[in-house]
Amino acid sequence: MASIRRIASLCLLLLLTGMLTSALAQEKVIKIGALYPMTGRSGIYGMDSVAAAEMAAEEINAKGGAAGYKIQFINTDSKAKPDYSVTVAKRYISDDKVNFLFGVVSSAVGLALTEVSKQEKKIFIGTDHAATELTVQNLQPYYFRVSNNTFQSMAAGALYLKELAQTKPWKTIAYIGPDYAYGHAQIEELKFNLDRFGVKYQMVGEFWPKLFESDYTSYITSIMQAKPDILVSGFWGGDTVAFIKQAAPYGLFEKSLYFHPDAGGNYELLSAMGDSLPLGLVLSARHHNNWPDTAMNKDYVSKFHKKTGRYPTYAAEGAYVGVYAIAEAVKKVGNPDDTEALVKALEGLKFQQPEDPEGFTSYIDPASHQIVQVQAIGVTVPNTAFPPATRMLGQWKIYKAEDLLPPKEWAAKNKP
Amino acid sequence: MPSKPKTANTWYLLIFLVLFSLVPVLKTTNYQMLLAAHVLVWGLFAVSFNMLFGVTGMLSFGQALYYGMGAYGAGLCVKYLGQAWFFPGMALGIVLAAVTAWLLGHLIIRVSGVFFTMLTLAFGQLGWQVMFKWYSFTGGDDGVQNIIPPGLFSNKVIYYYLVLALVGASIWFLGRLSASPMGLILRCVRQNPERVRFLGRRVRRNQQRIYIISSLFTALAGGLMSGVDYSIHTDMFYWTTSGHVILMSILGGIGQFFGPLVGAAVIVTIEDVVGAFTEYWSLIIGTVMLVMVLGLPRGLMGEISQLWTRLPGRQQALTTREEGN
Amino acid sequence: MDFSFIVVQLISGLTMATFLFLIASGLTLIFGVGKVFNFAHGSFFMIGAYVGYQFSSVWGQNFWLSLLCGGLFAGLLGMVAEFFFLRRIYGRADEGGFQILLTYSFILILDDLVKLVWGTEYKSLAKPPALSGAISMGGIVVPTYNVAVIAIGLAVVVAAWWLLNNTRGGRIARASALDREMLSVLGVNVPMTMTLVFGIATALAGMTGVLAAPLRSVTPGAGIEVIIDSLIVVVLGGLGNFWGAWLAALLIGEVNSFAIVLVPKWATLFSYLVMALTLIFKPEGLFAPRKVRRV
Repeated sequence: MASIRRIASLCLLLLLTGMLTSALAQEKVIKIGALYPMTGRSGIYGMDSVAAAEMAAEEINAKGGAAGYKIQFINTDSKAKPDYSVTVAKRYISDDKVNFLFGVVSSAVGLALTEVSKQEKKIFIGTDHAATELTVQNLQPYYFRVSNNTFQSMAAGALYLKELAQTKPWKTIAYIGPDYAYGHAQIEELKFNLDRFGVKYQMVGEFWPKLFESDYTSYITSIMQAKPDILVSGFWGGDTVAFIKQAAPYGLFEKSLYFHPDAGGNYELLSAMGDSLPLGLVLSARHHNNWPDTAMNKDYVSKFHKKTGRYPTYAAEGAYVGVYAIAEAVKKVGNPDDTEALVKALEGLKFQQPEDPEGFTSYIDPASHQIVQVQAIGVTVPNTAFPPATRMLGQWKIYKAEDLLPPKEWAAKNKP
Repeated sequence: MPSKPKTANTWYLLIFLVLFSLVPVLKTTNYQMLLAAHVLVWGLFAVSFNMLFGVTGMLSFGQALYYGMGAYGAGLCVKYLGQAWFFPGMALGIVLAAVTAWLLGHLIIRVSGVFFTMLTLAFGQLGWQVMFKWYSFTGGDDGVQNIIPPGLFSNKVIYYYLVLALVGASIWFLGRLSASPMGLILRCVRQNPERVRFLGRRVRRNQQRIYIISSLFTALAGGLMSGVDYSIHTDMFYWTTSGHVILMSILGGIGQFFGPLVGAAVIVTIEDVVGAFTEYWSLIIGTVMLVMVLGLPRGLMGEISQLWTRLPGRQQALTTREEGN
Repeated sequence: MDFSFIVVQLISGLTMATFLFLIASGLTLIFGVGKVFNFAHGSFFMIGAYVGYQFSSVWGQNFWLSLLCGGLFAGLLGMVAEFFFLRRIYGRADEGGFQILLTYSFILILDDLVKLVWGTEYKSLAKPPALSGAISMGGIVVPTYNVAVIAIGLAVVVAAWWLLNNTRGGRIARASALDREMLSVLGVNVPMTMTLVFGIATALAGMTGVLAAPLRSVTPGAGIEVIIDSLIVVVLGGLGNFWGAWLAALLIGEVNSFAIVLVPKWATLFSYLVMALTLIFKPEGLFAPRKVRRV
């Protein structure tokens, strides 16, 4: 008898859980399938992005969601590997039934995923990878990027150098960057933009250490020998830290101006270097914790700090904005399933972001699916408002968003 | 080893083929089929690698070179010549891989043991560097996208069956080879090269042959993979890819013909399942690996067949096993 | 290319070579004595760096004390790894493959443990204040810290050579490379020797991790990045050969240093090229000991 009763209660339990899950399934959700690296060198960007995206999802859900849909955010460690990420993306689409693919730090992974997005007709919101070709020659209808690409950084960089020539004449440039697509793209784009803005310059050396190189001493002494006025750098993350630490005692930064417009001003670098970061380096990043000085940016940074106990790197803001972009688009369309309508809604979508200064609102360029944003380039100055960093950027130079988009000649030049 | 496992291997192969041919019918989502295709391709890669390592005793740390060549043969042909060139490109990649293996074989096979391993690593890494740096032609680490098999084969289910057929046929061939007189000589080469020489057989020539054969099938695996994922990238040439296949083989059991295939299935599945539910996949996979190495000294398949031979009434078979290990 | 630049570039190559050697030295020691290939050697390097960071930057301890503690911790961890895990697979058929598999699992586990304890943010370690400047002489500028690193590298080579040749422990280590059975018949505890050697080697890796930290960033994943370069050095130097490893590191460091100047685009190719050429023409390694001693 006891066993029958047990079986009966078990059946009841099963029935109940079944009803519960189906009830949950009926709750209206927007499923976002993200692929951020959580391990290794770029793990910090993944951690920050996931935290910020979850923060955005919580904020939106607390206000009742977008068009009545709650945001559900899932992330799988991409391991920064394209083949693995493709597999996971396909699982997201076929098993988890996500509405959006999301994220990605590495451009190689981004390029592989945009292919999946195209094949499966699933919208892919890019939040951190910067390879320009994703919104130029590799653009497909379902891809959108809510952070700026290297071309925009380099266009701003070229304008900065042009202005600099008027106050402090310079002639020669050397470049050092990691020996892979990202490193090569930056200098190509900088040269293109310098030519476009009519800046005269002479290249006195290009140096290509491998990505994650640990010892830059020989490169540093070679650069010193080349004596460039401006040293343009295309590193990211730990490579920047190692390079600056090793170059400082040689006095490189007194002899050449260190100019690092894409990822040089990222917060993880400022916090890792502390006092050993020289003053007067010219850096930028895709988002700054201390610029613009708007309520929205301050609010975003302090909320992130409260949630995680650390200040965000720029990757976080991309993810934060990405979730809001999805929410805005769903609000317009009314549901997260009509992909074609969502594409239309995202094209030209305009909404306020933490990195928008007063009087400007970022928008997604309908033609290139690339977000159009203001760029700010700064110089390292003492500032202890965001510990453990003891230097932040200051003396900002601001560049208008519309000047920075890749012009038609660029697209023509890079036709596959 | 030769007589008994031959029939057993035929059975394994049949079971394997039937199981995998059911996947597109029984699957509930497309993803399961994708995973099965990955298992098939990695399985072929691992089995052909094991012809070198488990059978002949040559631990190559550079098979990624041939895997990548197969993939880039197909991928670059599609990129520059169009979709129709997928299969010719794959064939080209395989031929190139065989020629490269023949050329490099002359240089590499002169040394043995750990030096052989290191030399294969060095050439593998050189190949990776060239593909990585030749940005204008190969696309560097951005890889090549939009590689879709032509015609009928753009259908995923049909392509899956093509993969299954080719992998099945290749594994059948390698199984026959392993059980053939040549396979026997290769095993002797592994155990005692001196004695092979005394028997009037040429050690190096046999090593050279199996090196080429293994590389050829590795390239086939690479080519097939490009059509499964629709995109390729230079990671395929990187040493971690070679390392991955070594792990699969050892975990599955290098003493067994089907061991590496099982290892591939286990690793592909574990990576997927663990990766999906925790970001601490590396801790968990590492621990699983650690336990398996300590607990299963013969690899998964090795332990299974050990249990099998220990069953009552199969005592005689034990003697054959001892020799095989 | 003027003379002073050549000297500067030589010294740069020397700095790189010293780090290469310091990591590879432990690897070659373990291989020489126990025929074990420790794929996870770089992870001990990484652990050392993190422990050094903990002592120096979090607890505010002296740099040299942190260096010692980083080394000690890595060494202890290495001994634990050898005693509880590696020891179980000695003498197994296809031991080489299992060594790779087992030590690879260490990499995976240690990577995540580091992440659990210290997170993924980049960590930083300050140089000792006395060594933060640069030495300038006749137009040649060399950071003091780099000079100190080169000196430490030299000291390690000489000390290891002296210990291996003139102490009882060194003789036992060398003997166990030649004939373990005989040694054990003579009443030496061979397994214990192996554990100790493993400990010393991983301690060396850990100390190198702390030493390198002020010049690099302490990040997760460092373990896997350094291993291939160290492997090249070990093979070039002749497996298990201390002096050989130092010379090989020197060769790779200098070739790299000048390749950067002469063919910057292809500089990263050279270490693999040197290894391939060496192995083709002199498979036993450039600086392998005479056959008699290898037995």
